[in-house]
Amino acid sequence: MKTWLKTAIGALALVPAAAIAQVPAGYPADYAQTIAAAKKEGKVVIYSALDTKAASPLIKDFSALYPDVKVEYNDMNSTELYNRFIAEVASGQGSADVMWSSAMDLQVKLVDDGQALAYKSPEVAKLPGWSVYKNQAYGTTYEPAVFIYNKRLVSADEVPADHAAFAKLINTKVDKFKGKVTTYDIEKSGVGFMFVVQDTKYFPAMKDIEKGFGATSYRVYSSTGNMLEKVSSGEHLLGYNVLGSYALVRAKKDPNLGVQLPKDYTLVLSRVMFIGKSAKNPNAAKLWVDYILSQRGQKLIGSDVELFSIRDDVDAEYTAAKLNKQMGGTVKPIPVSAEITQMLDSKKRLEFLGAWKAAVAAGGAK
Amino acid sequence: MSSVAAAPSARSGVPSFLTWRALTILVTASAVLGPLSLIFYQSFLTAPFFDPTKTVGIGAYQFIFADSDFWHALKNSVLIAAGMTVIAVPLGSLLAFVMERTDLPGKRWFEPLILVPSFVSPMVLSFGFVVAAGPVGFYTVWSQDLFGIAPWGINSLLAMTVIAGLTHVPNVYVYASAALKSLGSDVEEAARSAGASPFRVAISVSLPLIMPSMLFAAVLVFFLGFELFGLPLVLGDPEGILVLSTYLYKLTNKLGTPSYHLMAAVAICIVAITFPLVLLQRKLLQGARKYATIKGKAGRMKELPLGKWTWLALALLVFYLFVTVIVPVSGITLRAFVTNWGFGVNLFDAFTLDSFRAVFEETTHKRAIINTILIGTVGGALTVACYTAIGFATHRRDDGWSRFVDYLVLVPRAVPGLLAGLAFLWVFLFFPPLTPLRTTIFSMWIAYTVVWLAYGMRLISSSLMQVSPELEEAARSVGAGRGTISRQITLPLIRPGLIGSWLLVFMIFEREYSTGVYLLAPGTEVIGAQLVSLWQGGAIDIVAALSLINIVLVGIGLAIALRLGVKLRD
Amino acid sequence: MAAELTVENLHLTYGDNPILKGVSMQLNQGEVVSLLGPSGSGKTTLLRAVAGLEVPHKGTIKIGDKVIFDGASGLDVPAEARNLGLVFQSYALWPHKTVADNVAFGLKLRKIPAAEIATRVKKALEELSLGHLMQRYPHQLSGGQQQRVAIARALVYNPPVILMDEPLSNLDAKLREEARAWLRELIVEMQLSALVVTHDQSESLAMSDRILLLNNGVIEQQGTPQEMYNVPQTLFTADFMGSNNRLVGKIAQLQDGKALLEGEGWKLWGRARPSAKSGAQGTGMIRLERVKVAQGPGENRVQPELTTSMFLGDKWEHIFHLGETLLRAHSATPLERGKHWVELPREDLWVF
Repeated sequence: MKTWLKTAIGALALVPAAAIAQVPAGYPADYAQTIAAAKKEGKVVIYSALDTKAASPLIKDFSALYPDVKVEYNDMNSTELYNRFIAEVASGQGSADVMWSSAMDLQVKLVDDGQALAYKSPEVAKLPGWSVYKNQAYGTTYEPAVFIYNKRLVSADEVPADHAAFAKLINTKVDKFKGKVTTYDIEKSGVGFMFVVQDTKYFPAMKDIEKGFGATSYRVYSSTGNMLEKVSSGEHLLGYNVLGSYALVRAKKDPNLGVQLPKDYTLVLSRVMFIGKSAKNPNAAKLWVDYILSQRGQKLIGSDVELFSIRDDVDAEYTAAKLNKQMGGTVKPIPVSAEITQMLDSKKRLEFLGAWKAAVAAGGAK
Repeated sequence: MSSVAAAPSARSGVPSFLTWRALTILVTASAVLGPLSLIFYQSFLTAPFFDPTKTVGIGAYQFIFADSDFWHALKNSVLIAAGMTVIAVPLGSLLAFVMERTDLPGKRWFEPLILVPSFVSPMVLSFGFVVAAGPVGFYTVWSQDLFGIAPWGINSLLAMTVIAGLTHVPNVYVYASAALKSLGSDVEEAARSAGASPFRVAISVSLPLIMPSMLFAAVLVFFLGFELFGLPLVLGDPEGILVLSTYLYKLTNKLGTPSYHLMAAVAICIVAITFPLVLLQRKLLQGARKYATIKGKAGRMKELPLGKWTWLALALLVFYLFVTVIVPVSGITLRAFVTNWGFGVNLFDAFTLDSFRAVFEETTHKRAIINTILIGTVGGALTVACYTAIGFATHRRDDGWSRFVDYLVLVPRAVPGLLAGLAFLWVFLFFPPLTPLRTTIFSMWIAYTVVWLAYGMRLISSSLMQVSPELEEAARSVGAGRGTISRQITLPLIRPGLIGSWLLVFMIFEREYSTGVYLLAPGTEVIGAQLVSLWQGGAIDIVAALSLINIVLVGIGLAIALRLGVKLRD
Repeated sequence: MAAELTVENLHLTYGDNPILKGVSMQLNQGEVVSLLGPSGSGKTTLLRAVAGLEVPHKGTIKIGDKVIFDGASGLDVPAEARNLGLVFQSYALWPHKTVADNVAFGLKLRKIPAAEIATRVKKALEELSLGHLMQRYPHQLSGGQQQRVAIARALVYNPPVILMDEPLSNLDAKLREEARAWLRELIVEMQLSALVVTHDQSESLAMSDRILLLNNGVIEQQGTPQEMYNVPQTLFTADFMGSNNRLVGKIAQLQDGKALLEGEGWKLWGRARPSAKSGAQGTGMIRLERVKVAQGPGENRVQPELTTSMFLGDKWEHIFHLGETLLRAHSATPLERGKHWVELPREDLWVF
């Protein structure tokens, strides 16, 4: 009833509405204005680290929900995302409306630099506290860092159950794993870097793993895809801190790939999203953000998009709730907070990298 | 006596040749020096140049000189450059001798094949080597199955040097064979009649005589060693073997936030090494050309009979082609048609067209293919037009401006494509009139045109040289001004040369990858740059499929070029 | 009336290399003047300087009354504005244009209406018997035909002077003799003023009204063909203009324009030339055809040994040795080996 009334009013107001856009359930009534303004804007420009193919279910669903808002989705790696954004903003050209990146630290830094629009999403109440930053940036997924291994060549009893076991494995069975252990290149991959910084927080004996990397002449890559490929093919045998969303999806189809969630603690990455302060289409951006954070969007994220949904009240294949239940209380999400930007300080970062490389070199020197 | 018709008067209203010449030189100078000055300026700042907190200082240089990785990368670059020179020069010269001076059977078929590595994108080739001969490459697996061992590794510094050397043989071959062509056969025949075997003749007689060309080729290959990007990226990065270009690429994210000032400092260091090498090349090339004309008597050359050496020569040739061309290309082709690979995987079961389906379903990939075709065909034609305009501005005018332009075109040669792309990105971002172009393929096109200026100018000037000066003088004597001569006499005469140049530029643009890396944006995708990004992202299937498409595109260009009899060498 | 072409004291240098070292000449209306000389003498450079394709650094060039080059004031009318006709040694026909277009180009540049161009081109080509080849391309023509097209192209706009660079050297030897007759006829008939560069002295003798002999950037001697051939002022001129015998000796006496040249075992009287000095070394030159084989001793005769004879078709050429000196002579009949008497008439022997 209400809908028809709104349409009639809309038609009377001579707003050229091609279709009916509803205010989602539970949203304030004045959200209709946001929707109307978004329609006027006509499009939303998104810069995202999630590749277009993976995001297409979301884009399609959003377009079905708001047909008048065209989604201009641009995927690029997280470094480029950041570089492009700040360069475009500095040159006064206008940049993305929505920034959605797995480089949590860079996203938070941008918020601290005043680049984000303050916007309290109506979905805020349903989101965990650690995932919302100043009502400007929002964590949207729940992706664990896992170990991966080649099922054919690594025996079941070798598969490390936790971090200590991993350290032990690569430090003792050096010959078997020489040249066959892989992880992120922490100089190139912001995500990889963030993971190991968090590791040092929760795993005091992290140095042992670093030494083990050195002993086995580990191979580093900047992308998850590469690591999955090489472990699956048998070129490598073990992978450390690999982004679990991709790993689990691949493991479903690939009989060669095995995935192990570490039992002592499992780090969780959450892709952070914010609206650009100088966004040209702020209302459309709001629609998108709210959609991603909504149950509908999160359900897709946990199923078709095959990342993990962050909300507890979502029923899908991959959800935070399921993960938490599976691992008990050992899941450690990386907080969307100022804490994670500390390592962006050049001096601290270089110190950390230097210490890492020294430990690896020490391990390899034997 | 019949009336004397006066000489034609200068036309008024149409800008004179001199004005047009000045304009051409001005535009060229800006396009070349602009981005470079930006890099130079950026290297003396402490933050990206658009960052309000930046200050002037040498902090960037201090940082990289204190970074052990920089020295590591420098050392590796020098080692690889030297190593590949040592491999490419003897091999290229020997192949040139065998192809030019002996009676090896099947020469006509071999020649284009020898030149293939120079037309396939290094990114594609490197990827091919990984897929074919890497630790779980097709050939490695087959060798393990058949012989029990596969005694090669492709991720070492040595392997990278060998592959780099082999893939740069065409560069040496082109110059060595041109020099050998201009030698008279009598010196070699004299050696043969005195009792020397063909090999002996090659070593003791022919090769010393073409020494100037070989020296030039050696410097060229050494120089190209510093430009390597795709090869060390694919083969070296997993091992942490850095070269200057990949070190620079790594700096993109090493500090977490963009360190453009550091990258600019590395860029200036690279140019400091490469620019003198470019100048040296130029000097040596002039020397080699002079030497060639002195030796001039290129009469009917009698081929040296190889006799029992024929099999060895054929084996050498086939081995080179196998390792450098067949192995990587077959690797890519196979990889594009299988779902997964590795030990214990049966290839026939894994056959699929999914990779190609994925490519053609994805807008960015489709756009990349279309853009790549466009930038090669339409873009290539425009580029050749620009080069021709610059060529005319310096043609037959040996004054200070021509010399200025001569040196000007060398500058982009010294800047690796990776940096040129970055510099152009900055120019497009921060130079208001140009900003709307940034998200179009046009930005890519300008960068390509400037980066390949030196190569293109050589093509154009060799076409222009073919036109006898007398034809232009005759036009002057009947009253034609410079502009008229250029348009109505010279231009029609160099048309076949221009078409050949267009084909060569097409192939070069198809093969380009590093220049576009930083310019890659929605709308400006080209296959080469996208391959770099996809490789980083690990989408190996797509990389294989796109690489194959890239090879096919280049192949089409090559086939047309061969059909039209375009000389593949400058 | 002013000469059609006047060159005064022209100096031209390539880098550090002086090519023309002060050349002056005049070309009058209706004259054919040859620039003759060995390679490197500067003759082609002079022609190109007149055409405007080379730039001298000193001197003047005038066409009629108009100064087109003046080194002192820096005036240098560009080649395309000099309105001269230039025929290249290689003809330089534009390969991408038809014969008609080649010839018409100069008229098009002068903005002459198309209809008039068509008539004039047709007329020019028909006069040279090329009317049926108008739509052909240069590569479809013979050498002789190409040459005529080049000439038509240079003449069609009626320039005051036509410049020709080695017009006959690209033709076969047989054609050359026919062509030089034809060319001379054409120039005279059309009342052209022509400056022709050639390295072949017999060509210049046949074709020219006057010959300028260049040596090393300066004019060695100029005059009519007869003057150049029969009255050489210098050794170089004598040597260049014909086939000679050369005898080296000492000038024992010099009086009344006659000189006595003494060599080893011989003494000969000859005509003293300006450079001959009594008591100094001298060179005697005599044309081959002037040497007569005699029957016995006599005035100005010597007795050399016949070493070999060559049959040339229309005559015999005999090689004699007089001590170290080589003597060549012609006769209609062959001679036996051994010593013969040979006369070098004193009017024909020049002593330099």
